Amino acid sequence: MKTYFFTEAGVVKAVDGVDFQVGKDEAVGLVGESGSGKTVTGLSVLRIVPQPGRILDGTIEFEGEDILAKSEEEMRRVRGAKIAMTFQDPTTSLDPLYTIGNQLVEVIREHRRELSKEEALEQAMKLLETVGIAEPELRVRSYPHELSGGMKQRIAIARALASRPMLLFADEPTTNLDVTVQAQVLELLKGLRENLRMSLVMITHDMGIIAEMTQRVQVLYAGKVAEVAETHSLFRKPNHPYTEALLQAVPRIDQRKNLKVIPGNIPNLIDPPPGCRFHPRCPYAKELCLQKVPPLEATDDGHLAACHFWRELQLTGV
Amino acid sequence: MIKTTKANIVVAGITTYIIRRLLFMIPVFLGVSILTFAISNAAGDPIALIRQGIRSAPPQVLEALKAYYHVNDPIYIRYLYWLWDLLHLDLGRSVSGTLVIDRMGPWVLTTLELQVPALILAVLIGLPIGVFSARHQYSKSDVSITTFALFGYSMPTFWLGLMMIIVFSLYLGWLPPAGAAGITRIWWGSEFGDRIAHLIMPLAVLTYVQLATFVRLIRGNMLQVLREDYVLSSRACGLRERTVIYKHALRNAITPIVTILGLGFGSSLSGAPALETAFSWPGLGYQFVRATFALDIPLIVGITVVITIMLMVANIITDLFYGMIDPRVRLG
Amino acid sequence: MQQETELESVKTAKRDTTETRRRGAGQWAVAWRRFRRNKAGLAGLFIVLFFTFIALTSPWLAPYPPRSFQSLYEGEAGQPPSSKHPFGTSRAGIDIYSEVLHGARGDLYVGVGATVVAVAIGIVIGAVAGYSRGAGGEILLMLSQVFYTIPLLPLILLFARVFQIMVVRGFGLTLILLLLGFFGWSTISFIARGEILSVRELDFVQASRSLGASRWRIIFRHIVPNILTPIIVTATLLIAGNILTEVVISFLGFGDANTSTWGITIQEGIMYMRTEWWTPVFPGLATLFAVLGFNLLGDGLSDALNPRLRD
Repeated sequence: MKTYFFTEAGVVKAVDGVDFQVGKDEAVGLVGESGSGKTVTGLSVLRIVPQPGRILDGTIEFEGEDILAKSEEEMRRVRGAKIAMTFQDPTTSLDPLYTIGNQLVEVIREHRRELSKEEALEQAMKLLETVGIAEPELRVRSYPHELSGGMKQRIAIARALASRPMLLFADEPTTNLDVTVQAQVLELLKGLRENLRMSLVMITHDMGIIAEMTQRVQVLYAGKVAEVAETHSLFRKPNHPYTEALLQAVPRIDQRKNLKVIPGNIPNLIDPPPGCRFHPRCPYAKELCLQKVPPLEATDDGHLAACHFWRELQLTGV
Repeated sequence: MIKTTKANIVVAGITTYIIRRLLFMIPVFLGVSILTFAISNAAGDPIALIRQGIRSAPPQVLEALKAYYHVNDPIYIRYLYWLWDLLHLDLGRSVSGTLVIDRMGPWVLTTLELQVPALILAVLIGLPIGVFSARHQYSKSDVSITTFALFGYSMPTFWLGLMMIIVFSLYLGWLPPAGAAGITRIWWGSEFGDRIAHLIMPLAVLTYVQLATFVRLIRGNMLQVLREDYVLSSRACGLRERTVIYKHALRNAITPIVTILGLGFGSSLSGAPALETAFSWPGLGYQFVRATFALDIPLIVGITVVITIMLMVANIITDLFYGMIDPRVRLG
Repeated sequence: MQQETELESVKTAKRDTTETRRRGAGQWAVAWRRFRRNKAGLAGLFIVLFFTFIALTSPWLAPYPPRSFQSLYEGEAGQPPSSKHPFGTSRAGIDIYSEVLHGARGDLYVGVGATVVAVAIGIVIGAVAGYSRGAGGEILLMLSQVFYTIPLLPLILLFARVFQIMVVRGFGLTLILLLLGFFGWSTISFIARGEILSVRELDFVQASRSLGASRWRIIFRHIVPNILTPIIVTATLLIAGNILTEVVISFLGFGDANTSTWGITIQEGIMYMRTEWWTPVFPGLATLFAVLGFNLLGDGLSDALNPRLRD
């Protein structure tokens, strides 16, 4: 799948040939730095990529149907009801002018017209309970700015799950929250996944979250897939230098070494480096890396990796 | 049950908000009145100035005027006297002898006859245009709308009025060239038709200029709001596009504009002297210019005070709307 | 949400390739590139430069000196546009074309000058209001709000009229300039105050202070660069507004009758609008385009210096 943004400065190739699958009741991670294209991937599946972005090329298959072939009206019925998404900053993802109750009710009634306002409100309150909000009767009358970050994120999750979707894209759900609250939200997501038998795509840059929440993980870099693997296998032995670097960058209490930072910056997506996009920052880069784009191949460890030298390199995991 | 409680909270919240805004208005009013009073008295002894206006006056009249204006008292005393009179709705006498306050009424109405419909039309027409323009950014329609608006707020309003007079009155003869009502003849049949005929051009000009500013504002705000996360998340939850745009985006975009409307009315009122002069429209602005030339101090000060009060009222009204729309204000 | 902006991508590319070390230099270069691509902004810049050129060269460019009734003596008063008088002559005998050229000088002088005054006052008041932590800041804020709300024009007209009586002739334009500046600083002060408030508590300011940097040093090295952007934009738009206001003031007759401005020419043309329609038309057009130019420039700068999130 490819999603490009046609801006005045040039074409930003945010997602440049990414394939991935999510199975039923599976938790998959989508990991990478800012600018790797992970959020845009989620937006593309829901087809809410903002202007001037467009999805070119590729297919998105959901429950046997091609999402890209659907009409806008059909797509609207999919959003929220079958596939949903939560966003990084809970403060800005809720409309400040309406009460929580109002915003929950509107989503509930959108997908189930037959419900009356009172019934929908009942549902909303139950929903708040499931995400662990105390005193839902009071909260439905509150406005977003009256609540804490953790509560807002729970509410955002509640809103996304209002119509029991089968697939949830959770975009950095904990990044803007306090550390203590982070754990709670993750627990919540885990619990919800089990109870609702929901598939989860965890979009994050935090390897720790990947380790805790996912079974499979896909590493993205600069709009392309770097590596795909089962989570535990990825952590034990990565097959791509970028993955290794990401793992090395996770601070650990039991290590006395300095934090290893990945040198350089994410590349310009309008004019990405030739060949392997990671080569300017890769400690193992060779001539070939500048010239040829590495294909995504199956490796001996059962991963998919896009590196010319996955065979030769003995990369260390955690 | 829920509804009544919510209404109560809203009312309580708004009342405190309004009270705060009212309290703010007091220094504004004081500021304006002090400035006006100071400067008009700085021009010199009011008696001397009036003398400039009326060549001759018998000494008894002068003495009476002197006492009336408390000429021998220091300026702050005079200001306090003036303020006191003001609160009793006594704005003094103009040079021509009549009570200032009596003349205000019809002038205010005449000015409002122009300002209010223009504002309403500008909002009614401007809102959908601005929203449309924002949603279709960079399209040909958007570009033409933006250009159209750009010319509108770059133009001297009164000059546009003059141009229209030249074309429609002097060349084509379709519309009257001046005034609010016909003097030498009645246009368009009836007295009502006459007033309409006179109203058309100034109203069109004023509406266009206000429209331009309004479209620009709304478009700008909408563009910003449309990029906000809650717009995206609303779409992600499957809400209809109409709901997303009108219920969420628009209301958020309008909020800052409501206050701006109050100021827009203020600047429109500020521009009234020029526009009304161009059309010889006998409203507050027109009279202000004449009074200023004649150095009719009481009249000048009186009109300024009235204009300020009109502004304050407009601001209170917009503040009320703002309080109703944005919950953060009521409770914060 | 997608944190990366297109600007960041471009910025990082520049850092990768050119490795500029000067603080902020990369930022301005990028902004310039953005501005170059904005056609409207470029048009605005062109117009502004055009009028500036005219204003500076009008004494040599114009066929007749300012406020010269020469055409009357030449028997050519009240003529429609012709090859000798491209914009025609007024009934009183003024060559409109020359007046428009000279008027550019007068109006730009007032427009830009008033803005300079307003910015100067606004920055000072706003900075002090933002930086001081006590009642002083609150009072200054109130002052700004009061000045923001009061009706501009009536007060200015009043002042202008009163000063007309009191003051030496020929001082007129400068007087208007000062008045406009004196009443128009409030928006600038809000911006200045806002920036200072947001920067004041930032870590690097605290760090500087703890290292013993004086208050002034902090203000100049850290705060001022941040303020520049919104102030430049606001100032440009303020120039546009001031030109418009000046034209209104002159039109109403409160300006300086001895200097050429577009407003005065329009005013002179009213009486004989029926016959010599060209008299008010051309100065008005000039005003329109000058103001248009500044508005376009301001919008263009705003877009270039404050990139909106794209993806």
